[in-house]
Amino acid sequence: MMKQLSQRLFGPLTLIAMGATLVLGLWVVPPDQVQGELARLVYVHPSVAWVALYVSFGTAAIASALYLWKRTRSEVMDRVANCAMEVSVVFIALTLITGSIWGRPAWGVWWVWDARLTSSAILGVLALGYLALRRANDDVQLRARRSAVFAVLVAINVPIIHFSVQWWKTLHQGATVFTSNRTLLIHGSQAWTLLISFIAFTMLFFWLLRYRYRLEVQRENLAGASLEEALASRRREGTQ
Amino acid sequence: MSFQSGGEDDVSDADATNGLSPVAPPATKNRNRTRSIGVIVVLVLAIVALLSQGILHSLNYFETVDQVLAKRASFGTETMRLEGVVKPGSIIRTSSGASFYVTGSKGEVFVTSKGTPPQLFQDNIPVVVVGSFTTKSSMKFAGTQIMVKHTASYIEKNPDRVKAPNGSVR
Repeated sequence: MMKQLSQRLFGPLTLIAMGATLVLGLWVVPPDQVQGELARLVYVHPSVAWVALYVSFGTAAIASALYLWKRTRSEVMDRVANCAMEVSVVFIALTLITGSIWGRPAWGVWWVWDARLTSSAILGVLALGYLALRRANDDVQLRARRSAVFAVLVAINVPIIHFSVQWWKTLHQGATVFTSNRTLLIHGSQAWTLLISFIAFTMLFFWLLRYRYRLEVQRENLAGASLEEALASRRREGTQ
Repeated sequence: MSFQSGGEDDVSDADATNGLSPVAPPATKNRNRTRSIGVIVVLVLAIVALLSQGILHSLNYFETVDQVLAKRASFGTETMRLEGVVKPGSIIRTSSGASFYVTGSKGEVFVTSKGTPPQLFQDNIPVVVVGSFTTKSSMKFAGTQIMVKHTASYIEKNPDRVKAPNGSVR
């Protein structure tokens, strides 16, 4: 009962969180001292990047690791990894697009090849590579194993992206929230709205993942059903 | 193709013509391997192409004013990206661009840059200027592009803001 209720409420709650981010970010919070109205992108770009990098790619990598570990190996893990990676591709693309839209007015350029931007673009290529690898293998177990190994290996790029602004000199700004000395560089209503945006986009990810997973199960059932049907019709032919 | 084995010639022939004989499974494993290797090769090429756009040359996107001042001779007149903070009050906007000083903690460099600066270009903001020094030993930098490197700090624009005695704004 509770589970059913929480599942039903998850979608509307996500919508409310997204709506709150939109209203707070666009109208309630005052503009920034340096960036003016441009700073409103701080309620979109960092949270989208957070989901792309840690939540979705992270989910895919952890599910892959759990698949590779014998005690937790199951087709559920393989499916979660696949679905999370697909959603991750969307969020990585959104990260690059929103970053570019912010970069043009703030920096003066759409794109630069600094360490942060290049490593993020590479993550996008790796995520697409994961999906390509899945399509290259039609043997179910072989596909699950190969893609899991791939996801775990390329996850090394996530900490590289995270620390890129710290290890190297980049045009991209350093950390505002996850600073090395743990001092928040954003306060008041800006900080609260940023937090709400992180929650909202994280919820949006899990909402998307849930429906993508459901779709995958239905697709597998359909494939299984059509095989059953083919076998049955073949048997009918034999008895005629 | 031959299915001959012992005395089952007739049976296997009949099976073959009816298409009911066991069909050898397609070589999926080999095909999967070839395709997987193909995907990996394409990926590696794509990543090398991305890295070659600058990161392979230097992982650091720019040189700071202090670094340049410390090793001025080694930079000569080569094209580079120079980073520093725009000295307050030094900006002179011209019809072709702007001139200003970029400062580090140990000194400053005079920059003349062509083209319209980005909208956030202002006093006290960190910038990265693409260009080169005018001569091998001069401290004048001729820029072709200015990029604004804003900081990671966000502060609400609010006239009633309270400033603490130590200068921090909350």
